[in-house]
Amino acid sequence: MEDQKTVSFMRLLSDESIESTLSSDSCEYYQTEIYELLPSVQAVRSQQDTYDTLKSSEAYHGGQGPEEGFGSDTQSRGSREKVFLQPLRNLAMCMQGKRGARERRKMQSSNIGFWESGRRSQCINRKKIWAQMREAGFSLLPWQHTLHKIQGRFGIGVKSYFVFLRYLIYLNLLHSALIGGFILGPTAFYGTNSSESLRFGTNDSVLDFFLGSGFLARSPVFFGFYTRGSLDLICLNTPLLYLAGILSIFFCSIIMIVRRTTVGYKHTWMLEKRTSMNVSFKIFCGWDFNIQDPAAAKLKHSFIRNDLKLFLEEQSFSLRKAQRTLKHKVCLYLLRLILNLVVLSLLGGAFCLIYFSGKISRRESPKHWFLNLVLQYLSPITITFVNLVLPHMFRKISAFEDYSLTFQVNATLVRSIFLKLASLGIYLFFIFNETLKHPSCRENQLGREMYKLCIFNFLTTFFNTFFMNYPRKLLQEKYPTSLLARLAGKQRFLIPFNVLDLVYIQTVSWVGVYYCPLLPLIGIVTLMAVFYIKKFSVLRCCVAEQRMFRASNSSVLFYFMLLLGLLMAATTPVLDFYQSKQANNFRIYCGPFKNQETVFNVTNVCVKSLPSSAQTALHYLSSEAFALPLLLAEIIILTSYVSRGRANRKAIERLKDMLVMCSSDKRFLVKQHATLLKGQKNANRVRPVAVEQTKLLHEESL
Amino acid sequence: MGTTASQLGKDSLSEYQELTFLTKQEILLAHKRFTELQNRDERNHLNATRVPMEKILTLPELKSNPFRKRICHVFSTSEAKDGSLTFEDFLDLLSAFSDSATLEIKSHYAFRIFDFDDDGTLDCGDLEKLVNCLTGETDDTRLTSEEMRQLISNILEESDIDKDGTVNLSEFQHVISRSPDFVSSFKIVL
Repeated sequence: MEDQKTVSFMRLLSDESIESTLSSDSCEYYQTEIYELLPSVQAVRSQQDTYDTLKSSEAYHGGQGPEEGFGSDTQSRGSREKVFLQPLRNLAMCMQGKRGARERRKMQSSNIGFWESGRRSQCINRKKIWAQMREAGFSLLPWQHTLHKIQGRFGIGVKSYFVFLRYLIYLNLLHSALIGGFILGPTAFYGTNSSESLRFGTNDSVLDFFLGSGFLARSPVFFGFYTRGSLDLICLNTPLLYLAGILSIFFCSIIMIVRRTTVGYKHTWMLEKRTSMNVSFKIFCGWDFNIQDPAAAKLKHSFIRNDLKLFLEEQSFSLRKAQRTLKHKVCLYLLRLILNLVVLSLLGGAFCLIYFSGKISRRESPKHWFLNLVLQYLSPITITFVNLVLPHMFRKISAFEDYSLTFQVNATLVRSIFLKLASLGIYLFFIFNETLKHPSCRENQLGREMYKLCIFNFLTTFFNTFFMNYPRKLLQEKYPTSLLARLAGKQRFLIPFNVLDLVYIQTVSWVGVYYCPLLPLIGIVTLMAVFYIKKFSVLRCCVAEQRMFRASNSSVLFYFMLLLGLLMAATTPVLDFYQSKQANNFRIYCGPFKNQETVFNVTNVCVKSLPSSAQTALHYLSSEAFALPLLLAEIIILTSYVSRGRANRKAIERLKDMLVMCSSDKRFLVKQHATLLKGQKNANRVRPVAVEQTKLLHEESL
Repeated sequence: MGTTASQLGKDSLSEYQELTFLTKQEILLAHKRFTELQNRDERNHLNATRVPMEKILTLPELKSNPFRKRICHVFSTSEAKDGSLTFEDFLDLLSAFSDSATLEIKSHYAFRIFDFDDDGTLDCGDLEKLVNCLTGETDDTRLTSEEMRQLISNILEESDIDKDGTVNLSEFQHVISRSPDFVSSFKIVL
């Protein structure tokens, strides 16, 4: 107790005294001579100065320089061991210094025993091989050059969008591989029992590719194609493989995304919670060394300046917030309440719109093909329209709410995420209910809806870029002074909204993969196209943003949103199964599970064929009796981690206190020593003068 | 390509690969770019000649960097401290700024670049110069002295752990190690 009190007192004291010591002392303690000789400073310096010492030692024809010897003396043996095992390139020296270090290593290794040197060289070789493999892996990543270019002009934030896009393409590649292995492969090999031959008939038109009907409905794109094949063992048949493929897709995605999210989350957590190092980051990591374009550099300057000013303003904003009167507060909360109600009513209106559009498009289809097309696409059009307009309104609304700026951005994002996922959810709920009424191969109908959503989203991206953004840009270039051009304003690449689009597409793809197994393949194609379209849009039409996004923060947010989408996608089929279970006389009319009540009949048949011990084990694993111990074990593990984290935090606090104490001791001693030295020098300087003066006096008196 | 490779020599190429984080292609590209900066008669003896700082600064990768002069000074091994670079210094520079350089190396060199007076710590003067470099050097882009004072006291409060009024290397690395953005932004690729 006593200790802690004094320590905190010391910290307080040093906190306050910094300013005074800094301003009052003309000679800083780190500029004194004795400071240079401190062991802690020497240890750091010895690395930096190796080159100089080496050069001097070279002049002495090899051998170790004097300071070199000193530095290695002060370093402990453990750290030297570490340094020795480090690859040469990890040393912070110049080339000549590294060469010298290599020579020294060779000399040392001749002194060490045979086994030791063998072990070390093995260790180094292993590291080399790993590095080479990693290098080869990196060179395989596509679009490295494009990303580099985009980063150079628009900063890390925009690049992180494209990296996210690339990640989604990889994810879809993995999904396609799984689909190929579990579903397409067996179907192609063992064939299907369907008698219809797959041919582009006279009744089919190109329109089918947009509507997902006719030719496409018979093709392998949809669920209905995959009937029970000739591979028909009890525990190895095509329906079971189908189920396994879909489940493995969900498992793989969950594992990959959770991993990404946790890695990113750890970073942000370290950034935000424990240490508020915001300004230091802005200063020390502020400059993006990739920037080559002078205009971009200018922009970065102004961005950093604005950011710093914003920070200083926010500091005073929090001061102002503390000084708000009661009347102000009441007004503000009332305003926020009203605005939130407005947001809620907007959301409600949007959901109603989606619901009714679904109802209308289900009515009798008109004869004319174009009207039919529009009517068929009415729901996707409504959803996309709502998702295009409302986020911008949210952005405007949140500006009135007198939050700090970062909070504003986050509030808009959260509302937009909610809108996107909820509108999709409403639509799904609607079509699940509708298709239950017309049960003729409802899986194909559901798959068709998902297919249409995907296609339409891609089409909007395409048209938005080439018929909205690009003409706007052309107009601004040709007639920069016209009223229309000025009204249109400069176009910015709004990262959060674009990412939301991607998350939405991926969610649709996950929801639809059960009903339309080729969606990941379609996803790869569309995402690749989106990559090039967006690249064109960014490089050709957009100016860089004034407020840049912090890459790390945003990418965690991206993956978190993706996780939300995945969770939603995973819950919808489950809900669907239970809903259809409760409907009377429900049967699956097509596809691999034809004439069965639920999908899990296939697995039940398989489980029943197993020996009884395995059966009981499986039953136990799926029962509540197993879930409880699992939950308990998880709780215990979590608790231990949390308590360990707390203990570590306490230790960090104490170590910090110790550091402050040590450094204040050091400062005190250095100053004391410096004043002593000064005093001695003065005394030395004074003494000869005094002697001469006495001499003079002596002579005069004589 | 063949001519440059033969000019550089296989031995020195593999040595450079061992001592730097650069790949073979990157070293060859660096060599090509470096010889373009040299005079015609200097090209034959690569390591004997130094390219003056003014010429290095004409590289587009460095041209718009506010720390370009400091970078040259830090990586220069010249005795006259004029910031001129030999080819090996140039490789050192690229290695520290390359994709695969470790956080430790990067933060070490970042510290030295930001340490304008080369005294081994970042004091108030260094920080002020650093902030000026970041916001732009002209008078109307600079922060006011009041803002600067507030900012520097904020920085020191956050990152000066031992409260001695300066940020030393280990404190600097402590801050940097918590920033996931640093590695991706402290990069210069030819």
